[in-house]
Amino acid sequence: MNDMTPEREERVAGLKGLGCSRKRVEDARFTQGKGNYVDDLKLPGMLHGDFVRSPYAHARVKSINTEAAMALDGVVAVLTAADLAPLGLHWMPTLAGDKQMVLADGKVLFQGQEVAYVIARDRYVAADAVELVEVEYEELPVLTDPFEALKSDVVLREDLDPAAPGAHGPRKHHNHIFTWEAGDKTATEQVFAEADVVAEEMIYYHRTHPCPLETCGCVASMDKVNGKLTLWGTFQAPHAIRTVVSLISGIEEHNIRVISPDIGGGFGNKVGAYAGYVCSVVASIVTGQPVKWVEDRMENLMTTAFARDYWMQGKIAATKEGKITGLWCHTTADHGGFDACADPTKFPAGFMNICTGSYDIPTAYLAVDGVYTNKAPGGVAYRCSFRVTEAAYFIERMIEVLAIELKMDAAELRRINFIRKDQFPYQSALGWEYDSGDYHTAWDKALTAVGYDALRKEQAERVEAFKRGETRKLLGIGLTHFTEIVGAGPVKNCDILGLGMFDSCEIRIHPTGSAIARLGTISQGQGHATTFAQILASEIGIPADSITIEEGDTDTAPYGLGTYGSRSTPVAGAASAMAGRKIRAKAQMIAAYLLEVHDDDVEFDVDRFVVKGAPERFKTMKEIAFAAYNQAIPGIEPGLEAVSYYDPPNMTYPFGAYICVMEIDVDTGEHQIRQFYALDDCGTRINPMIIEGQVHGGLTEALAIAMGQEIAYDDMGNCKTGTLMDFFLPTAWETPHYTTDHTVTPSPHHPIGAKGVGESPNVGGVPAFSNAVHDAFRAFGLRQSHMPHDHWRIWKIADDLGLHG
Amino acid sequence: MELYDQVTINAPKEHVYAALNDPEILRQCIPGCEELIKKSDAELEARVLLKIGPVKARFSGTVELDTSGAPDAFSLTGQGNGGAAGHARGGADVTLVESDGKTVLTYQAKAEIGGKLAQLGSRLIQGTAKKLAASFFQKLAEVVDSVDA
Repeated sequence: MNDMTPEREERVAGLKGLGCSRKRVEDARFTQGKGNYVDDLKLPGMLHGDFVRSPYAHARVKSINTEAAMALDGVVAVLTAADLAPLGLHWMPTLAGDKQMVLADGKVLFQGQEVAYVIARDRYVAADAVELVEVEYEELPVLTDPFEALKSDVVLREDLDPAAPGAHGPRKHHNHIFTWEAGDKTATEQVFAEADVVAEEMIYYHRTHPCPLETCGCVASMDKVNGKLTLWGTFQAPHAIRTVVSLISGIEEHNIRVISPDIGGGFGNKVGAYAGYVCSVVASIVTGQPVKWVEDRMENLMTTAFARDYWMQGKIAATKEGKITGLWCHTTADHGGFDACADPTKFPAGFMNICTGSYDIPTAYLAVDGVYTNKAPGGVAYRCSFRVTEAAYFIERMIEVLAIELKMDAAELRRINFIRKDQFPYQSALGWEYDSGDYHTAWDKALTAVGYDALRKEQAERVEAFKRGETRKLLGIGLTHFTEIVGAGPVKNCDILGLGMFDSCEIRIHPTGSAIARLGTISQGQGHATTFAQILASEIGIPADSITIEEGDTDTAPYGLGTYGSRSTPVAGAASAMAGRKIRAKAQMIAAYLLEVHDDDVEFDVDRFVVKGAPERFKTMKEIAFAAYNQAIPGIEPGLEAVSYYDPPNMTYPFGAYICVMEIDVDTGEHQIRQFYALDDCGTRINPMIIEGQVHGGLTEALAIAMGQEIAYDDMGNCKTGTLMDFFLPTAWETPHYTTDHTVTPSPHHPIGAKGVGESPNVGGVPAFSNAVHDAFRAFGLRQSHMPHDHWRIWKIADDLGLHG
Repeated sequence: MELYDQVTINAPKEHVYAALNDPEILRQCIPGCEELIKKSDAELEARVLLKIGPVKARFSGTVELDTSGAPDAFSLTGQGNGGAAGHARGGADVTLVESDGKTVLTYQAKAEIGGKLAQLGSRLIQGTAKKLAASFFQKLAEVVDSVDA
């Protein structure tokens, strides 16, 4: 009876469930300017906050004079650390177990650090008053290089006892934060001592920034009559923010309501807790009026969470034939002035230990040293699950370096080292259990699609033509096969501030057969209202168009850890499916009662329960929903609701094969992307159109990071890339055409087999672009050149290789 | 950031040197200078309104003069603070060489810029600083010429 008859096919199509390229329900309001963002919120009597920020990267704050600012008409108050100290709020805990100054307490540690908070009747007066606050600084020596910082006598964090251990164990130096290790050091050293071939290289993944179009901000409103605090904000994790606000303010959690309205992109930048939130809450409590704070672009780029900044010293060992026998990596991680990295508690370097990538590497060792410098704090996953981009870039560069060392084709080197399909679930040398994969199939499909052999031939001919002086353009073929680790995560080993990283879904079916589902996550453009409704549609047989998805209001949504690290589909998506199955189980009992048969004699069929063997006897979900509310069914409570808190048994491991074909002008350093092929395997595909959109967006961010985007500092600690004039954000002009493709290897432990896809294109895209640049110059002896590969740096590669004659 | 240039002034070396030490002449020549107070022979206090790219700010600062090489050489160091707009410090070595009643003034300056100026104006600073320096010495040449004329 489950044959796909035309009638049944029609019913399946009507649900717009799994696999349907359903149009995004969010877009009607976004494309018509009807979105509702934090800065759209206007409350009666609302005040505006703005920060006085340090122009110095490292300085002692000698004095703060607020007199002139206070004298300005419209200024309500100016807060400094001295005002927050009696409340114990001049410092706040970070997500990494460190603490961070809310307002400068005696010194500043990075340029742009918050020094004082002005509250005024309007935004313009606040900005004017900021200029009137006089701060006297005494400059201190600046450390912007983590290697220097570890040697320097200059103590950045005078508040920390150098002898006492940090949140992640002993500290080796006053500017050292932690050492984190994975794998077997002794065994790895042994492998290297006996190896046929060892390739060694320093791989730097530069500091960059998620730069969401909407910057961070909030509106705090303390109602002094009923004692309730409402906090609207650009929060990627509203529930966690409520808990944090409660813990640091002492306001009971039930008296705090956190609301994330529409969010204009997050990419990790909106996970952390910022000084602006704390100051706005305090300001609202003090004044009894709502207070709004919204960053400008410079503030966003200079002070809120950056990404990457990993110096990865690597070694890879192999046999003469190219079989990899060992991997060694020592990373120096620049965390800035405070350790505000957003990672699960037990993983201070995130999931960097996924750095064995897609390869069957029997022995490996990884150590990461976190270091304080005079740069902005942060260290978030910029469209990546906790340092997975760094790990993927590291291994994909090391494979290329090994290929050079072995004089081998890099595609073939990958192929002979891939984890085979029959090895899954695969236990990696650095501690992960990969759930499923079929790398060889994906790789062969990708190489065939781009015509790999013909490309290599063309490349060789191009090199000869270049040497003969017939062309000034080189051809690069950038290969990448990445393995992601997403869906944090199992409560047994993943928590943030002690909060287990489960997620949740609560679903309520209305009497007429439509539904509302609320989740602990929050969309920032991912299209949750579209895709979660599709998961539920397939699970409970109610059309996706009849299901409202609501997220982001802690008074109504069930508790969850939010949206980042591609965790929404693996965790909240699973919770949706599980909640849907609870609904279905109850619906089955109701259907059996209505059809006057035993529970076991009915079965679910698309949008109804049918009597086994008698498909003409059925009750639709619409009928069942109505019955749940209007019939007194013996032994069954009225109503049709379910809630699921889902603790995933494992992470999921999406993967993909990306190939970038790039033309490089040796004389100008300009590049042109001739072809970009992206094959993604994210398990079960919920909405192919949304996946394609995610891949396009992620690849464009990867292009930006690899080819120009960076947060750069000069020796004085000035942030040189604080505006969009200097910080590269690609437009349609720079964005190439992408060809997307897929294979489907479902996750065996996820209820619907989905793995998550949001970050894959960033994780895999960056090495694909970077490898293309490197590959173009391989014939001329290039081994490693650090990103970003902007025109000047590419020109410099050519110049250093003597290609300019 | 380093700047280097040469200007020829239609006046004898001593006149040029005296002008460089005259707060009133300096005030006229420094672009945007609103106030210049001589605290001592070696120390000046200045308030200057500057516009670099999108940043417009009033800088207040001190300048220290080293006149030990008079009248052939002259150096100065200074620092200025523009509050939220940023800050700068630097110095310049000036040498004066006279020939045929004219003075060739050569300057070599170094400056470090911090704060919003360094962020917003980084790609404009070199050009603006060059322009400001040129405008200063051109004005100086004019003022000294007119005094001598």
